[in-house]
Amino acid sequence: MTNEELWQAVLAQIQLNISSANFATWFKNTKIISQKNSQVIVSVPNSFVKEWLEQKYNKFILKILHSLNEQIKEVKYSIGKGELKRTLLPVEETNQLEFPEFKIDKETNLNSRYTFENFIVGPFNELPQAAAWAVAKNPGFIYNPLFIYGGVGLGKTHLLQAIGNEIVKNFPEKRVRYIFSEKFTSGVVASIRNQEMERFKSKYREIDVLIIDDVQFLAGKEKTQEEFFHTFNALYEKNKQIVISSDRPPKAIPALTERLRSRFEGGMIADISYPDFETRVAILKAKSREKNIDFSDEIYNYIASNIQKNIRELEGALNRLIVYQKLNNRSPDIESAKSLLKNILYSPKRVATPKKIIQAVAEFYDLKEKDLIKNSRKREIVRPRQIAMFLLREILNSSFPFIGKKLGKKDHTTAIHSCEKIQKELENNENLEEEINLIKQRIFSG
Amino acid sequence: MKLIILQEKLKNGLNIVERITSKSLSLPILNNVLISAEKNFLKLTSTNLEIGINWWSLAQIEKEEKITVPASIFSNFVSFLPNKKLVLEIKDKTLLIDCENFKTQIKGISAEDFPIIPEVPREEFFEIETSPFCQGLSQIVDIAVPSTARPEISGIYFSFQKNKILMAATDSFRLGEKSLFLEKETPFKAKEISFILPQRAAKEIINIFSGKNGKLKLYFSPHQVLFESELSETPHPQIQLVSRLIEGEYPAYQEIIPKKYQTQIILNKNDFINQVKIAALFSGKINEVKFKIDPKRGGVEILSQNPDLGKQQNYLRGEIKGESLEISFNHRFLIDGLNSIRSSEIIFELNGEEGPGVLKPVGDSSYIYVVMPIKAS
Repeated sequence: MTNEELWQAVLAQIQLNISSANFATWFKNTKIISQKNSQVIVSVPNSFVKEWLEQKYNKFILKILHSLNEQIKEVKYSIGKGELKRTLLPVEETNQLEFPEFKIDKETNLNSRYTFENFIVGPFNELPQAAAWAVAKNPGFIYNPLFIYGGVGLGKTHLLQAIGNEIVKNFPEKRVRYIFSEKFTSGVVASIRNQEMERFKSKYREIDVLIIDDVQFLAGKEKTQEEFFHTFNALYEKNKQIVISSDRPPKAIPALTERLRSRFEGGMIADISYPDFETRVAILKAKSREKNIDFSDEIYNYIASNIQKNIRELEGALNRLIVYQKLNNRSPDIESAKSLLKNILYSPKRVATPKKIIQAVAEFYDLKEKDLIKNSRKREIVRPRQIAMFLLREILNSSFPFIGKKLGKKDHTTAIHSCEKIQKELENNENLEEEINLIKQRIFSG
Repeated sequence: MKLIILQEKLKNGLNIVERITSKSLSLPILNNVLISAEKNFLKLTSTNLEIGINWWSLAQIEKEEKITVPASIFSNFVSFLPNKKLVLEIKDKTLLIDCENFKTQIKGISAEDFPIIPEVPREEFFEIETSPFCQGLSQIVDIAVPSTARPEISGIYFSFQKNKILMAATDSFRLGEKSLFLEKETPFKAKEISFILPQRAAKEIINIFSGKNGKLKLYFSPHQVLFESELSETPHPQIQLVSRLIEGEYPAYQEIIPKKYQTQIILNKNDFINQVKIAALFSGKINEVKFKIDPKRGGVEILSQNPDLGKQQNYLRGEIKGESLEISFNHRFLIDGLNSIRSSEIIFELNGEEGPGVLKPVGDSSYIYVVMPIKAS
């Protein structure tokens, strides 16, 4: 007889012999957790029940057990772990801020706020959403690894966390872990320092679903990359799901070892691009419905047509209007919406300057700004420099002599050559186009 | 059973044990108090299956026996009696009370069916002065809220460290932490003991023990904790409160407490409370009160507005260091924190408009209250 059947048999008999109040009080949430040799261990929810069963019903329980199985000679009671009920509460939107640490599940690091249900799908993110959904339904076997990339504020983290939350929901026994790549790095550093590398390794290799966000930050960190490589292989071999996100495709991540790059490319790569106008309006509408507020279509259209490249900013703009409505008890009209959103839409941050462009290019290729300006002809530097020149010309329409001067006192002909070269290459190199788009995004998202 | 005891003593005992008896439909005996005459003591016991309370008093015992009677009727009745000798006797599951001109019978239930209060092992214990402990606990106990979604934070966190006790409570919007520094080190060598006590039990501890002199003994086990005070006249426990502990791991709350500040204000506490309360009259549904802090002006402007009522602004002088800032808080959370501070001046430290704010008393590092702002409008 299994533990369960045995205890059911006991309960069935006890039920007949004691009052239903007593039965409900003392036998709720009890179960047999082990039968070994002649001993049976019964798990009870708390000490009161333990005392009571030990002192009042022990003989009775033992007698029934013995009659069911003659080998049983002894019953022990132990206080079991109560089933910690974790209900995912619907998140109420108020402006009162919470301690952010509390919303995050300690074990998985997931924030329950992000789910597939509140992820809005449009043509721009159909593919990654579908891939993520497939992975969440059947982790480890469909797209492994799943690599999602896209710009700032377009929903990468939402999608990644949604995968995690969905898997936790569907397969509660699977160990899911969501981490930022930076946390992985600091984990590697700490375990080297404390000489606990083995523990670190085993910690990550016991995971069933590993989700790593912003993997581009591994760039240049060799020891971490090596450690990640081994972890990756260990998990991959056991058919454990790996999900990775980055702000650019694997190919464009600088200083990433070849073996990691090729592994990232081995599964499924999906990119999230910019939402189109209709999707932006749909997102705004969905967000306002979440917050139980409605604005006129004119306002939705205004926001959607002015904020094009960042969903987070769409939300920010909407929040501003909601606060206005709460304070004044009436919805803003289009004129007041315009003035309310002025600061967001035309904040000085969005204006590109030569300095910002150079900075963004340097950051993107993991170089120092002064390297770009230095008089070096190394291939790794020349190309980013050309791209910087191209961007200066394209975005700011700077004069060629000015561009030359800005980037290390180069001749204006060098600047002309660079711009033409990049321009030409753009025509038949899609990767380059993507790289340049990502850099532009960095420039404008400040 | 037959015993003789003074009315006042019995009344005090009943007041203590009666509190946790509850109307329980599934187990009616939980409404009752267990009365036992044993050796030279009268013992009263009550429980709600989370907390158990035992109370003892010296009494003249003539026959040892036990019975349970409904707590509220017994307690009410005894409290009306004159402070004279009472004679308690049991006959046929009925409690007979005889006091001067009063002769009363209360119907009882057999003591056999009364739940057994779990024993807590006596090896590991810890002694602490009662009144500072209760006072410290009362500073944080109301912050926690019953939560079924997150049972860990529905209780009060205790951590016994080398030379101090930390107590903390939170409702995820605010957090209070109290440290009690000890004269001598805790006896638990090289290990730290920590547990989460249900809020109800913490409140009962304050109710029962505060105002009492002497020491409180704490005994630990993995699932239970026992608080015990001793009779003054003889070495025997007077009150024992046993509570279950909440399972789970308390969040790493130390990470929440900011280590630095961007803006610091020192204010007179009573003036600050007053002015926040005035502003609270005009705050809207979300209890929002806005603060404009400008180091150049040397004070805080407190604003609130309500579309239906109107708006107000007031100004409070204070010492300000750091950056200027506009920030909103729920006035209820602020007042709660301010009320739990005993000093006349308070330090209010802020970390940007969406970072946590910290309230603490001037000249006392043992208490800290962290509160999250309302998102800026």
